[in-house]
Amino acid sequence: MTRAVCALLLSMGAAPLAAQQSFNVIARGIVTVRHADPAPGGATDTEAYLTQPTLSLSRALGSRLVARFTLNLESATIAGGELAPGAWGEGFVDRRHPHTTVHELLLEARDILGDIDGDWRLGLVAGKGFAPFGTDDPMSRPFLSYPVNHHLAQVLERAVLIGQVRRGPVTLEAALFNGDEPESPGQWPLIRNDSVWRFGDSWSLRALVVPLAGLELQGSIASVHSPEHRQGGGGGHDKVSVSARWQDGNDRGSRYALVEWAQSSELEGTFKLETLLAEAALVRGRWHVSARYESTLRPEEERLADPYKTHRPHIENSILGTLRWNLATLRLAAELAPRGSKAGILPFVEVTGGHIARVGSGIADAIDIYGTDRVRHFSVGVVIEWQGRNHRMGRYGVLTSHESHH
Amino acid sequence: MIRKLLVVAAVGSSHLLAGCGSDPVNPPDTPTIVVLGGNNQQGEPGTQVSQLLRVRVHEGGLPVVGVEVTWEVVAGGGTVEPLSSITDAQGDATARYTLGATVGVNTIRVSAAGASGVATFTATATNSPAKAQLVAEVSIPANYGIHDTHVRDGIAFVAAWNSGIWIYDVGGGDLGGSPESPKKISQYVTSANGVPGGAQVHNSWWFHNPVSGSKRYLFVGQEGPGVIGATSSGDLHVVDVSDLANPVEVAFLRVPSAGVHNFWMDEANQVLYAAWYNGGVVAVDVSGTLTGDLSSRIIAQSFPGGEGASFTWGVMLSNGTLYAADMVQGFFALDPTTLQIRNPAPNVTNRYTSDLWVHGNVGYTGTWGTRGGIRGNAINIWQLGGNGVPTFVRSHEIPGAGTVSDIAVTPDGKLLVATVENGNTVSNGLHVFKRSDPLAPLSAAFSYVSSGLHTGEVAVINGRTYVFGARNPPAPSLMIFDITRLLD
Repeated sequence: MTRAVCALLLSMGAAPLAAQQSFNVIARGIVTVRHADPAPGGATDTEAYLTQPTLSLSRALGSRLVARFTLNLESATIAGGELAPGAWGEGFVDRRHPHTTVHELLLEARDILGDIDGDWRLGLVAGKGFAPFGTDDPMSRPFLSYPVNHHLAQVLERAVLIGQVRRGPVTLEAALFNGDEPESPGQWPLIRNDSVWRFGDSWSLRALVVPLAGLELQGSIASVHSPEHRQGGGGGHDKVSVSARWQDGNDRGSRYALVEWAQSSELEGTFKLETLLAEAALVRGRWHVSARYESTLRPEEERLADPYKTHRPHIENSILGTLRWNLATLRLAAELAPRGSKAGILPFVEVTGGHIARVGSGIADAIDIYGTDRVRHFSVGVVIEWQGRNHRMGRYGVLTSHESHH
Repeated sequence: MIRKLLVVAAVGSSHLLAGCGSDPVNPPDTPTIVVLGGNNQQGEPGTQVSQLLRVRVHEGGLPVVGVEVTWEVVAGGGTVEPLSSITDAQGDATARYTLGATVGVNTIRVSAAGASGVATFTATATNSPAKAQLVAEVSIPANYGIHDTHVRDGIAFVAAWNSGIWIYDVGGGDLGGSPESPKKISQYVTSANGVPGGAQVHNSWWFHNPVSGSKRYLFVGQEGPGVIGATSSGDLHVVDVSDLANPVEVAFLRVPSAGVHNFWMDEANQVLYAAWYNGGVVAVDVSGTLTGDLSSRIIAQSFPGGEGASFTWGVMLSNGTLYAADMVQGFFALDPTTLQIRNPAPNVTNRYTSDLWVHGNVGYTGTWGTRGGIRGNAINIWQLGGNGVPTFVRSHEIPGAGTVSDIAVTPDGKLLVATVENGNTVSNGLHVFKRSDPLAPLSAAFSYVSSGLHTGEVAVINGRTYVFGARNPPAPSLMIFDITRLLD
């Protein structure tokens, strides 16, 4: 297989079905110590965890079906969330929330019609997982810290029904799903609330183009009904995402880069949250160097007695204001496991610095919350994995590949 | 450790200096520890008392900073946390106390390094702690849930957000309802009127017009989305409730670029006063027949704290003065006719202000959220002077509270009621205080509500006094408490 074709498959996930006829198992976790400066109230905080503990299983069922299951054990290891600069969502703030235990459970038809439709490939995906919107889940990207924009740039942990069509370098996806995001790690998507269907109250469309080997251009839109209020009484989010992603590799290592812009317009445009993110990673031999910059608007909400928590569901629709998080993150890691080993042992150091700026009106103010508008986070740890990195979460059916990670 | 050594060094040096005086055995400047607050509390065995135990270490009246204080349970078997603490800039140190597992008196002894004497606290574990009696709980759809309840003539109007107004017979209707057994009469969803988020029914007032004798109109507040302190949205809706079983919306009022919040009425003069957040305070003529757009009926508008700087939560008319609680600017007295502010200077603004209540010559304001690191854990108490102008007296803190979201006084003036949310297990819920001294209310009862109470409406029905509480999501409900026995 030529290098160019490899790169194309890496970016589009078009590995031959034969490559996945066996049971594919990936296990992964990160042991880390994280230091947050500032923490709410002006102090600092240091904690240690096992984070992102996942077990991913996938298996081909015949020639056209794949079953996928990703178990996430964060409900046990970071039940109270994980310190992460600027993180928010699902009732957590300044901490990343634990993901649901059943993170993905999907049945994917990758080529429904086989040779009947010639060069066309039709796919159908059903189950629990990511809606086709935005970019890859941060768990399958190089950094420990989730970006602030996680809830602007991905739509995850939903009951999804995705239709796909792919021809040549172009893939189009359309999906129906439930709008509600989970309130706790053990919670399943709400399919129907009393007499009202939640499944199908939200939709997304995504287009992917690979104009040249290694380069993937993405554009997507989504309408998510009441994501922050499970019963459906909350406002809607209209979302837009565009991105460009580069990935290539050879015997010496690999290169990866991503630039994305996304916007979430909430409550019919009352609040518009935007994000611009650029990140890159270079692997040479055993050394991994990664860098990321993002500028993301975060809505500020009234906090509970636990300053890392906000009320879920909301009591009303107002916010305290919006803060812009401008963060730069650097990460250095080294692979200790022998080349060709199924196991991976990757110690790392990750540093984030930046600035929090007040945007527009309202009472939200970084100085008021943290005593400073400067951000300094520091993390050390080790990534432990079995059989490689996570798959590109959010890429299913005609887009999937057992190896399509950076 | 370094800090402790410094304290010891400081105390030691003061002893050396004392040794130069006339009484080296008992120097006059020996630090002393005294009880500052939290003494004589009571609660159920094994529960944490609601107020912090607080001591002060001083030396001739001056605070002793950074000295180690040791807490010890000497009777009753409870637990104190922490076992040692360091005095702050005021010379104060605090600890939380959890009562022992059995009924009886608990004793906690507190000493300070280098200080003479000890401070002693007592607390009583009892099986009959004072609680407001919950007599009914009515589940409200989690369509955000319930925000407020207006009760009049034995009819309760529940503001149930996007589920609209729910009307209950709680003793005054034809369905045989009572506070102990509310009977639903009807529900009505007011129009969204183009405001993002839907009906968002927040509060209401059933207008009894003494001029016409009509009880036709229910004023309904819609709380649309906004940015606290800056922008807001939502209209005043007028619903014809001549037939309580078949309400119909007949009119509305929008103040441009602002949203309505709590309101009050001068029914005799047929004037509705409304807090309109960044729109300040608005007076509306509601005489005669109300229909369509009421914008031409605005009589006056003013901005406590100035236009562009106001974010007014609530208003209340009392003794010829219109009082306004502004989240950002504080507590104000206004002329009810002109809405001119009588105390124009910003007042107590260390916390954000929430709700207000005035009884006689005393005013109370709640506090909200976090401002400058200070939680909204207090009831601010005001003495009302000539022309109604408030003078701040003190803050009564409710330990653990995040927001004191609603305030009310019983009609007889005996009890002060406050609701708390965004707090913890010793603060979230309903607090009732005795007003034996209106400027220093005493805690009389506390009923814990895990997700917090957003509002509490006091109502007297058939001679008994109730609080209609709005329990927050995720399991919103109307909680009805009987507080009659606390009046004794």
